[in-house]
Formats: sequence, structure tokens, C-alpha cells
Amino acid sequence: MRAKGPLSHTALHMILLGGSFLFLFPLFWMLSTSLKPIEETMLTPPQWIPSALHFDNYLKAVTHGSEILGYIPFLEYGKNTLLLCALGVVGTVISNALIAYGFARLRWPGRNIFFGITLATMMIPFPVLMVPMFVLFRELGWVGTFRPLWIPAWFGSAFNIFLLRQFFLTIPRELSDAAVVDGCSEFQVFRHVILPLSRPALSVVALFYFLFTWNDFLGPLIYLTDQRMFTLSLGLQFYQSQHGGTEWHLLMAAATIVVLPIIVLFFFTQRTFIQGIALTGMKG
Amino acid sequence: MRGLRRRELWAGLAFVSPWVVGLGVFLIYPIVASLYYSFCDYSVLERARPIGLANYIDLAKDSVFWKSLFNTLFYAALAVPLGLGLALALALLLNSGVRGLTVYRTIFFLPALMPMVALAVLWLWIFNGEYGVLNVALARLGIHAPAWLTDPAWSKPALVLLSMWGVGQAMVIFLAGLQDVPEHLYEAADLDGASWWDKIRHVTLPMISPVILFNGIMGIIGSLQFFAIPYIMTPNGQPARSAYFYAMYLYDNAFLYLRMGYASAMAWILFILIFCLTLVSLRLAARYVHYEAAP
Amino acid sequence: MLNRALRIVGLVLLAALMYVGFTRQPGPAAEDGKIHISYWEKWTGFEGEAMRAVVEEFNRRQDRIHVDMLTISQVDNKLLLSTAGGVPPDVVGLWNSNLSSFADKKVLLPLDDYLERAGISREDYIPAYYDLCEYEGVMYALPSAPASHGLHWNKRLFRETGLDPERPPRTMEELDAYSERLTKRDESGHLILMGFLPTEPGWWNWAWGCYFGGRLWNGEDTITIDSPANVRGYEWVESYAERYGVTSLQLFQSGFGNFSSPQNAFLSGKVAMVLQGVWMSNFIDKYAPGMEWGAAPFPYPADSPELAEVASVEADVLCIPVGARHREEAFEFIRFVNSQEGMELLCMGQGKHTPLAEVSEEFLAEHPNPYIEVFIDVAKRSRTFSNPKTPLWSEYLSEMNAAFDEIWLGEASAEEALGRVRARVQQKLDRHLEQKALREERP
Repeated sequence: MRAKGPLSHTALHMILLGGSFLFLFPLFWMLSTSLKPIEETMLTPPQWIPSALHFDNYLKAVTHGSEILGYIPFLEYGKNTLLLCALGVVGTVISNALIAYGFARLRWPGRNIFFGITLATMMIPFPVLMVPMFVLFRELGWVGTFRPLWIPAWFGSAFNIFLLRQFFLTIPRELSDAAVVDGCSEFQVFRHVILPLSRPALSVVALFYFLFTWNDFLGPLIYLTDQRMFTLSLGLQFYQSQHGGTEWHLLMAAATIVVLPIIVLFFFTQRTFIQGIALTGMKG
Repeated sequence: MRGLRRRELWAGLAFVSPWVVGLGVFLIYPIVASLYYSFCDYSVLERARPIGLANYIDLAKDSVFWKSLFNTLFYAALAVPLGLGLALALALLLNSGVRGLTVYRTIFFLPALMPMVALAVLWLWIFNGEYGVLNVALARLGIHAPAWLTDPAWSKPALVLLSMWGVGQAMVIFLAGLQDVPEHLYEAADLDGASWWDKIRHVTLPMISPVILFNGIMGIIGSLQFFAIPYIMTPNGQPARSAYFYAMYLYDNAFLYLRMGYASAMAWILFILIFCLTLVSLRLAARYVHYEAAP
Repeated sequence: MLNRALRIVGLVLLAALMYVGFTRQPGPAAEDGKIHISYWEKWTGFEGEAMRAVVEEFNRRQDRIHVDMLTISQVDNKLLLSTAGGVPPDVVGLWNSNLSSFADKKVLLPLDDYLERAGISREDYIPAYYDLCEYEGVMYALPSAPASHGLHWNKRLFRETGLDPERPPRTMEELDAYSERLTKRDESGHLILMGFLPTEPGWWNWAWGCYFGGRLWNGEDTITIDSPANVRGYEWVESYAERYGVTSLQLFQSGFGNFSSPQNAFLSGKVAMVLQGVWMSNFIDKYAPGMEWGAAPFPYPADSPELAEVASVEADVLCIPVGARHREEAFEFIRFVNSQEGMELLCMGQGKHTPLAEVSEEFLAEHPNPYIEVFIDVAKRSRTFSNPKTPLWSEYLSEMNAAFDEIWLGEASAEEALGRVRARVQQKLDRHLEQKALREERP
């Protein structure tokens, strides 16, 4: 709608600026608190800008943890999270690309029914799967290890299959037909024709899964029992004290550490992100 | 031709094979198993004992179950419409040809990216009764704010407020949808002398109604499974179980009380609820949603 | 060429990541030929340090077993999750209140055989603490650090009000009278000092009836929370809210600081008498050194002298979860902690008394808590009580806490509120017993 609404441009800008302020303020406040010494965090009225920039809060958060809880191996958690992200992203891209290709570019009996079932499963809420999967992993002896958090990604997911299939369908038949005529096997068509053309869609899948794993809380909560193997989202909780007296400056510093990589990543991949989200909303 | 067909069949199955495992092992099996467990007394440390409908009957009599369901529906009933409204409003604002679109879009979208745990602790800090920034700001404006997370009447509204902060994702989808509305429809409306409000009502909304439907359904499904944020911000649903949500009670039953059968029954009830709500939405869609024929 | 090289590097990297992601296991490593056992404990700070000293001593004395102690928050929840997942620790430090429900869910290993072989029996302990570890006739734990509770009073405030600082109130009636005398208000009528406040610290709101001779459960099938003795206890609590005014008290309480700080209500002299545990001496030493204080058994109703020196006891306990990989070694460690030496090391460090029947002279002489003998004596009496050993304890507890709030805020009378609790918990108990019977008939 390029048509102008009831608002003039200045009014529009005022509203948007106001909104921006409201939306950004919490992030600013998180940063500000993270740079304060503990006494300043508890001043009323609150001090907006720290008197001095205590970057050492970050060092403290990462090396020393809290005085009450002792050492919190936050960097270790970062490594664990990155490990899971890397393995998950690779698995999800490879498996879903293969599977979506099978649905989009190949014709075989039962394909449409199978795809229909796939679509239907998108509606299943996670709690329904939670208990049996836990039991399954327990029987396999996988509880307590990293395995339940990345191996399933290598076997596809309905949403990504759907996304990639839609995309693959848009690639002109002539290209793959020409390759077949040239004597390529299906896999070669997949690898040399379809994949190179699919970088945007594959990037979206990779990016979304990275974000999902980085932010995942329930998965690690259920499957990781050894504190040394925790991820960042689980580890963040340790800065909260259960008996009052949370060290907010350290907690905010830790929270900033968890959030910053995502923000940085976003700035570099904005277009892919936005495109991807728009894509998800396209087909109702 | 026969040979080619054969080849495609084998190739097709080969390509799709990981999904056979993924679907069978990680989706179909759990669904069937959880249905079975829901009719059992199962603590995972002992074998599952079938007990018929006892779990479901107990749920019907369980006041905590009803409370958690009420809390969840209350939250969804507020968060989904308000969230959609805000997302749409922001998208409309951004779509009116204002400069700096990308910057604003980034700003509004950013919070939706944050890990839920970080978000939860940040807003715990903001909502804090003693040192929280929100209450201080409101006090400056002369509003005596409630003690948000420690007041049973305000804990859910606080969480709804929090979810408003994350409407960036829905907003982006709306924006994309808005940009797809054909110009000529607006021009035609202008010729008819329509006001901006008329244009929104008769051109914009109908044209993006599929997007509204999509965001609505996604919103409902998401809010009914609200877990991580309240788990951190209002553990045990404090105060007085006012913020005890369905997924939290489910989790507690499974992993705290080791009543996996009971939890599975709760899961299936949730599934059926989501299914019905989706059907209802689609029914409403048939009446109100307008799909423009593909150009 | 470069592409090829990159691809190979990428594949190798992926393989390495997959290797790590696949093989990483929870639990301690075992490279040095010793058997490593994992021990999950809740304690942090000085309490954690005290236990670490014991662990180090154990590790030092022999080189077959090495104990890896991990501080775990919410250790009881984590234990359930990890046992359900099949990967529990070898030893876990729980609270005695967890035992009934965990034993009932078959999360813990029965220890009777181990105890018999080690020659450990009830005679070696202060009976109350040994009994805490037993559920339905089977031992599921051994105590690590015990605690009993008593009345603590501020001697200086007594003196200033003209009360004998060495004589604490002995009966409830005296307690009430002393409290009246000690309570002070300012010119505008706001409370600035309370003699006794039942809601400080407010950790045992389920227990008030017990000081009047009531019990929460008959041990089998009946919830007895609304017995006359219990009602009397809660009416007594109610009397404080009525006499001093709920809003007045709430305002007063909102000014209390953090428990572990000099702004603690008792430490800062805002409340003159509190019911507290044996650990209080540590907090006094740390946050209010130089405070003059005393400890004595909690008062009893004057018409029931048989209730004199009734005390509440609790304990931290050590257990072996079902599914632990190194059970024998786990028990050896637990046994060491329960030796006189191990126990005195631990309890001295935590400022508590020991649960053992025998105690050394040095322990008593050097103990930082000047009133340690008071706590030992009340624990030895046969009038101790602790939370009921029903698997429904956590539900019962939340009902009790909600009822206490209702009574304190004047929203319901003691009789009504307790009656409701009884009805609800009784229903759950009946259901639980039903299911238990069913479970027992088909194995």
C-alpha cells in the first residue's frame, strides 16, 4: 500500500521513532546494566548510563561466575552450543535438500500421499512427541549425551522439506532434463544443477536452524544431565540466584554474550533472513 | 520409458529415505506411543501399566489441570489478537513509503531473534518490583504500576506485554504480504473516492487475509505451548499458580512427578485442542479469507 | 584445486565434530585407573567447602576410588530427570523430605544389605536422624548433615526491656507475654520491633500444630491436619496476626532485608525471637558478629508439659540412585562420611551437630556454636517430629502453605482452612493408596 494513510510523513516518523525507542530500550538497558558495578544496578531512581564502563563484568561472568555459585564454565557452554549448531545445520541442510528433491523433482507412485502426510505432521505439537522420544533415547542410552540434540536433524523435518520443495519446484524442468539427456544420474542432477541454484533457500534453512539450536532450551533441559555439557541457554540460568540476591550485572553481561552473536549474524545475513521469513508466510 | 520410471522410483525412494526414518521414528512412533502411554500408568522406571481412561478422568477432576488450561487460554486470547494487531499496524506504518524502511524493520525485528532465556532474564530485570525500569518509568508518568510478576492478577498481562515485544517476525510476514497487494486495486479504490480507512477495510485486509490466517494459526499454536519464558520468569507458576501454563504442568508431570502416562494424556488433549482450533480457523477462513487468483 | 582442498578440509572438520558430538558422555572421566564416582550435592559456599574437605580426605586415604563432587542446583529435580533418563550419579545429596516420594517412585536404592554388611545400625545414631532415612521399614539413605530447631533470642533486647537475658520464655503463654513486652511501635503506630513473628523466617508453616501436639498424618490412611491440637496451633498463629494487625505486619515485613545479610530481620534486631535451626549461629557469626544471643528449646503450651522440648528435626541425606553404575564404591564413600571422623569434619565445617550417638570431646569443645548442646539435646528427645513421610508431601506442603496464607491474612479461620486442606489431601491420599494397591497386585 503505497497510498498515504491519514498520517503525514512527520507524524509517521514520530510514531516510528517512538516505537523504535520502545523496542530498542530493553536491549539498551541490558547492555547498560551489564556494564555497571553491582551497587549501581540497584539504585532508585535507576541510573541510565553507568558511571564507568565495567567491561570486567564480562570477564567475571565468563571466568569467575558468581560469588555464590562459583565457577560457571560459560565459554565451555558456548563451545557446546556451537558444536550442536554446526552439526545440526549441516545435517538439516543435507537431509532436507535430499528429501525435498525426492518430492519435488522425481515422480514416483505414492509420492503425493507421502507428501500430504508430511504436511499434516507440521501441526503436531512438541509435547506429544516429548515423552516417547525421551523414552526412546533412554532405551538407546542417548540421554545425557549430545546425540538427541543433533542426530534427529539428519533425518529431515517437515517444515524444511516443505520450504525446499516449494523452492525446487520453481527451477525450470529444462535444466534438469538437459542434464539427464547428457547422461547424468539423478544424484548428479541434484548436485550439479539443483543445489547451486538453491543457495538462497538453503541459506534460509541453515540460518533458521542455527537460530533454533542456539536458542533451544527445552531440548538441552531434558537431555543434558551433566552440567559441564550444558549449552548457553541452560547456562544462563545459573546466574539467577534462587534465594534472592541475583547479581544482575553479571546476568545481563552473560545474556548479552548469548545475544550478541545472533545480532551480529543477523546484520550480515539480513536479506536472507527477511526473505526466508517472508517465504514461510507466503503459502497459507 | 519403463526404465526411466523405474529409475525415478528407486531414485525417489533413495532421496526420501532419511525422511522415512525421520517420519517413522521421530514422528509416527512417538504419536502412537504417546497415545498408548496416555492410557497407562507409566513412571519410566517401571513398565507401563494400562489403566484405561483413568488418566483422562483424573485430569477432568484435576483443578491444577483446569487452572493451567485457563491460564494458557487466557494468555493466548490476549497475546494472539494483540500481537497480530500490533504486527499489522507496524507493517502498515512501514509500508506507507516512509524512508528508512530497512532500518525500522531491523529494529522491530531484532527482539524476535533473541534466545528466549536471555529475553526472559532481561524482562525479569525490567519487571522487577524494586529496581525494575518499567515501574520507574511508569511512576514518572504518574502511573502507579502493579508489582507485575509478584501480583497474581498481573503476572499473565506482564507476559502478554513481553510477547508484544516479539511481534517482529509476524510483522515481516505481514510486510511481505502487503507488498504483494496489486497497486491497481488501490488505484481503483481511489477512483471510487475511498478514504484511507475504506481502502484498508476493503482492499488491504481482504488481500492479506491469507497472511492474517497464517499468522493467526501460528500464533495460536505457539502460545498454547508457551513454556521456556514462564519456566524462567515465573517458576512453578508463581505467584499462586497464576502463571502456571499448560506446557509447564505437562513437563512437571512428566519429569518431576514421573507420571508420564498422565503427561501423555495432557499432550493428546493439547493436540486435539490445537487441531480443533485450526479447523475452526480454517472454517472462518472459508468465509472471510480471500484468495486472489494467481496472476 | 582450492575447491577440492576446501572440501576435504570441510569433510575432515565435519567428521571431527561428529566424533565429538557422538562420543561425549556425561560423568567423570576415568583415565587414571581409579574408579571415578560422581557425587551430586546441593551445597555451595562454606557448606560446600566443608563437604569438599571430606571428599578430599576420602580421596586422599585410598587410591581405588575417586569421588568427583559436583554442585548441582535443584539437585532433587535433576536427580529425577537423570534417573528417568538412565544416567544418574552414583551418590546424591538430597533432603530428608525427598525420601518418601523418591523411595515410593523407586528412584533410590534400598541400603539395608549394605548397612548390615558394614555393621551400621540404629544404635550408632541419634535415633531421630536414623529414622528420617527410613521409609516403610527400609533404609534408603544415611544422614550427611543433621539439623534441629530451637528458639533463638536477642539478649540485648531482653535486657533493654527489663527481661532477664538468660531466661528465655518456656511456655507459649510466656512467649506471648514476652513478645508483647518487646514489641515497639513508633509515633505513627508503625511497628519497628516485633517480639516474636511466626512468619519469620516462615520456612516451616506446616509445623505449628506440631508444637501443640498435633500430627499431620496418622502414618497410614488418614490426614489429621484438622485435629483439635493442630487447630489450636494455628489459632495461636492467627492470634498474632489479629493482635498486631496484618497490614501493620506486612508493612513491617516488607522492610526486611535478604536472609544472608546483616539486614536479616533477627540479625538486625527487628525481631527479638525467632524459631531457627542449628545453622543460625553461622549466620550470626558472619553477618552480626558480636551479637548477644541465646538458643533454647521452643516453648510448649503450659497445660501440656509433656510437650516440653518438642523439636523439629531434618537432615541432608546421602543416597544411591537406582541405575548408579558404581554402587559398592558409592556406599564406601557414604560410609566414610558417616564415620565419626568424617562426620565431625563435615559438621564442624557446617556449624552443625552430628547425627551420631558418639561424639568426641574436642568436637563439643571447639564447636563454633556456643549452644550446640541445646540442639543435640532436643534431637535426642523422643519428642522430635519431622515432615510426614508420605509420597504426597510436596502436594501436601503446597496446600499447607496456601492454607497458612489464608489463615494469616484473615481470609479463613484456622478450622476452615485446615478442614479444606484435609479434604483435598485426603482425596489424593485415597487415590494414591488405591493405585498402590493395584500396582502391588499385578507386578
